[in-house]
Amino acid sequence: MQAEIIENIKFTTLSPETIKKMSVAKLIVADTYNEEGYPIDGGLMDQRLGVIDPGLKCKTCGGRAKSCMGHFGHIELIRPVIHPEFARFIYMLLQSTCEKCHHILLNNAQTEDVSNALKIINLNSDEQQEETLFNDIVKKLKSVKTCPFCGAEQHKLKFERPTFFYLNGERLKPDAIRDWLSGITDEDLISIGMDPKATRPEWLILSALLVPPVNVRPSITLESGERSEDDLTHKLVEVMRINERLSQDIDAGAPQIIIDDLWELLQYHVTTYFNNETPGVPVARHRSTKPLKTLAQRLKGKEGRLRYNLSGKRVNFSARSVISQDANLTINQVGVPMRIASVMTVPLYVTKWNINEAKKFILNKDYPMALNVISKDGLRRRVNEGDREKLVEALQPGDVVERQLMDNDIVLFNRQPTLHRLSIMAHRVKVMPGKTLRIHVSAAFPYNADYDGDEMNLHVPQTLESQAEAMYMMQPKHLILSARHGAPVFYTEEDEIAGIYFLTNGETFYTKDEAALMLADVGIYELPEAEKDGTYSGRAIISMLFPKTLNFEDKNSKGKAVVIKNGKLIDGVLDGRIIGEKGATLIAKLYIDYGSDYIEQFILNLTKLSLRAIYKKALTVSIKDYFVTPEMEKEKAKIIEEVEKKAENIVTEYKEKKLEPLPGYTRRETMNTLMFAQLSEARDIAGKYLAGILTTNNNAFLLASIGARGSILNMIQMSIMLGQQSVRGKRPSRGYSGRILPYFKKNDKSPEARGFVTSCFVDGLTPTDFFEHAMGSRDSAATKSLVTAVSGYMYRRLVNALMDFYVSNDKTVRDANYALIQPIYGGDGVDPMYVNVKKDK
Amino acid sequence: MVKNSKSSESTVKSEVVNIDGENFISNTDVEYGEPVGVVAAQSMGEPSTQMVLRTFHSAGIATTISSGLPRIIEIIDGRKKQASPTMTVTLEPKVAKDYDEVKKLVKRFQEIRVKDLISKHRENLKDSKLELTFSDSKLKDVGLKVDDVMKKLNDKFGNVIIEKKEDKLFFSYKKAKDIHATRTAFIHILNFMVSGLSGIKKAVIMQNDDETFYIFTSGSNVSDAMELKGVESDKIYSTDIFDVQKAYGIEAARNAIAYEIKSTMEHEGVRVNFRHMGLIADSMTLTGDIKGVGRHGIAGTKSSVFARAAYEETVKHFVNASIFGESDPLKGVTENILIGKQIKVGTGLVKLGVKKSDLSKIKADE
Repeated sequence: MQAEIIENIKFTTLSPETIKKMSVAKLIVADTYNEEGYPIDGGLMDQRLGVIDPGLKCKTCGGRAKSCMGHFGHIELIRPVIHPEFARFIYMLLQSTCEKCHHILLNNAQTEDVSNALKIINLNSDEQQEETLFNDIVKKLKSVKTCPFCGAEQHKLKFERPTFFYLNGERLKPDAIRDWLSGITDEDLISIGMDPKATRPEWLILSALLVPPVNVRPSITLESGERSEDDLTHKLVEVMRINERLSQDIDAGAPQIIIDDLWELLQYHVTTYFNNETPGVPVARHRSTKPLKTLAQRLKGKEGRLRYNLSGKRVNFSARSVISQDANLTINQVGVPMRIASVMTVPLYVTKWNINEAKKFILNKDYPMALNVISKDGLRRRVNEGDREKLVEALQPGDVVERQLMDNDIVLFNRQPTLHRLSIMAHRVKVMPGKTLRIHVSAAFPYNADYDGDEMNLHVPQTLESQAEAMYMMQPKHLILSARHGAPVFYTEEDEIAGIYFLTNGETFYTKDEAALMLADVGIYELPEAEKDGTYSGRAIISMLFPKTLNFEDKNSKGKAVVIKNGKLIDGVLDGRIIGEKGATLIAKLYIDYGSDYIEQFILNLTKLSLRAIYKKALTVSIKDYFVTPEMEKEKAKIIEEVEKKAENIVTEYKEKKLEPLPGYTRRETMNTLMFAQLSEARDIAGKYLAGILTTNNNAFLLASIGARGSILNMIQMSIMLGQQSVRGKRPSRGYSGRILPYFKKNDKSPEARGFVTSCFVDGLTPTDFFEHAMGSRDSAATKSLVTAVSGYMYRRLVNALMDFYVSNDKTVRDANYALIQPIYGGDGVDPMYVNVKKDK
Repeated sequence: MVKNSKSSESTVKSEVVNIDGENFISNTDVEYGEPVGVVAAQSMGEPSTQMVLRTFHSAGIATTISSGLPRIIEIIDGRKKQASPTMTVTLEPKVAKDYDEVKKLVKRFQEIRVKDLISKHRENLKDSKLELTFSDSKLKDVGLKVDDVMKKLNDKFGNVIIEKKEDKLFFSYKKAKDIHATRTAFIHILNFMVSGLSGIKKAVIMQNDDETFYIFTSGSNVSDAMELKGVESDKIYSTDIFDVQKAYGIEAARNAIAYEIKSTMEHEGVRVNFRHMGLIADSMTLTGDIKGVGRHGIAGTKSSVFARAAYEETVKHFVNASIFGESDPLKGVTENILIGKQIKVGTGLVKLGVKKSDLSKIKADE
């Protein structure tokens, strides 16, 4: 399947002779189709350029619309025009050559310097440097007054965008420029680093225009039966029309002014044909005032050919659906709806070893069956009712049978934006009823997915190589550790954390029945050691999941020791730091010591067990958890009073001009900064107070403190106050003159008038508080959208700069040209994925 | 990526595997072909969406210290002018313990211009005369006298007559100038640096945990700070990468880039392994000069025409390539994606082969 190997691609310009050689037809009629809708001979849709109508045949190669790739034609321009993209370069060449003898204006000493520089460049074969060298030469030569060869005086050259040249104030017309440029010898060009074989400068003045094949600019037939031509065709029609008029006027001996005007118009159309965004040129538009998309626009930018069509490829064998979670799947599996599985296919490469299996698929009348059979010669046949037997008979090694997707097939699963390599992972298929794609709860994090309607894509690898690659390198069970920091990216969250908390807090005991049921759910049919009263502790139950050889010690987020000895949890609550988002050290340890298959099963078992535990507990958060007690009211008043007093002091200090300005700040800014810092503290004080009075009897507080869901901040905002709002990192200050809302006095510097919200969600917000809160919310929403744009561009630049780097077989880091980037990767050759692996073990 | 994989790729078993005491992962080396550049870029790019866009004022320290995403971009772009460079100056052990010495020293850092010392100034443009009234308190703060200032100004501006009257200085020209020239000349006088190091906006004394002192400045000028007596000339930390390069060389600049990215990321609470930042820093300083990653840096000066054209300024790169007859050897990642070949990184670098002995076994089977 390997295409012909292209070794390199050389860039050159086309000479008029080459253009004529490439061309199959000289176009002479400035029109497309005749009244019958048939392509006009010698027109822009000439059938020698290829055909797009399915009924017609190409007059050059005889191919039909699909088989003929199209052929180039050409227009002979009656008067030469300048290629607009090269105008700047033409100017530079004119500057550095003599206006009389057309020699390069370098004197002997300079010539030597240049040739030495060129030698070095050729030695390094660094073609980009030629450009820099040329720029330097031009910089030196543009001020030369007399030619060192013929001694002719050099007059002032002027270049006016886009394509106008003046010598000594007089317009240089394209034909004069062409004569000048043809006078430069090949030797001279080589001496300044150019390649006359690639580009003779006079080729940059166009006397023949290459017309792309019809396939490049197909016309579309609208629903109304009207034909709509491509933008390029439109432009070419105009070029030809002006060219024709110019030719007639010249033949009729029209006055020079008229000819010059038409010539300029021709130049304009050719200019916009190449690039409709040339600076200094009015944009060519459709009748609907929409700018035409001409050649440069087709290539450029995000929607251009290079980035949209060539760097990004579209694929077959893919599916997309809404995702939802399933606690009974492992992190490695993906639940695929029957509707997807029955349409997508996996190729079965028939060999003499699996031919019988393949035959079975062809004979199957329902799932799992074969959908297509591709014979050795590439003929694809649908498996239909009736010809099954025939296909089976004809089947031989080397054929490919496309069968439906089945359990344990390997597929790639992806969520956009694909920000890192963990956004595409390989999962094992589990065909299921329903219409959504399903993944394990913990598998959402690396994809950055949630289940509020997110959609994800599924791809089926079609070769054995890609399947093997996906299997060994892209399965979640192999990607437990992040290449970014070496910590696990699969860990427990929310309900699981809560469940595990109850299992491991040392106060939870289960009856024999309960314990047996919980363990049976994870496939363990033994019971742990019972307590004296015949109950089973949560810690003993969770210990059943650990391998008997596990020894582990760490501190949880509360700073308390967690000890696992010989596979038994002795002490400590497993919380966010041990198995959750704050590090998941236990998961890392288990993966590093016991491997992929073990961790896959462990995470599934942990999920099942923890969910069992939380079902038993039935944890609910209600408004009761947030009720404002009279003591809280009192404390709140105290906090507000305290903070506002401090704030008031700042204001008085400011008003009495005693306030020392912070360096680089004015007095007023200092006051505002200090106020903002002071008032923001109110929330922290309230948080400390709440943490002091609330107990784990409060479910909301419990969940926040074990890291399962919510935070203390949520609780503060619910039952104490929303606190200081911020807009652009400062107190809100804009809206009306001197105040943010008309309900305040002008220049009121008090906390309340500048976004200090003292009400809480449970009590409800006052109208002004509501506004101030909304200002803060709007600001953060606006900032978020801005950050994505800025960081996205930074990311693109980074990837573009670093993408060629790879580790060579001697652990050096090399780029595409094998240039040395790092003598040993990272200084020690260690994969960042495994930085947390302790070697001394 | 996955080493020593003992896992059999069979279907999922519910039985708990237990490999006694031995690490499942024992080989932690990077593997051949690992696309470390892309991994580094992803490690920086993926969490960058979570970073803040604003620079914060950390109270107590001299000025705003730029942080977050703008700071990362500033470093990665290799911008010559940074928003808010700072310098941490370690002092010689003797000086570092002596507060009075340090106090004297710190005054030599902050740049003091004439305009910082005056309380009033009056310009007479018609007669080309300037009158400056110096503020006693401001002079005292920096430990200078009007005479000192006058002497320094005299040395610098030869064509100006300076007269002193109490705390005032009068400037006039030997030759009268036109209004425009006078005005610019006055601005030159007002901006004349009397003492300090240019670029240092503020210098403050800070204390280490071990009670020694060090100097923290806003603005950076390592090369001049090195010359000051009492300063450990090889222990000045600057956040201005170009300044570090100028004073300490390119290797130091490489470390400065990596550590600056690291501290910014840490400040944001984003965990990124140092290897990734090290690689970025190395690629930026590869040529011996600091090169940004963008259009004018690494990505824009690649040898491949297609890689550059696919990145930015598509038409420009094609046009220039055709003039000089450049050819694209199609070695990099982008080019190979463009033409539909396998990329030469990662698994695209290796080919699958069958051992001859195995092949004969298969044949024997038949």
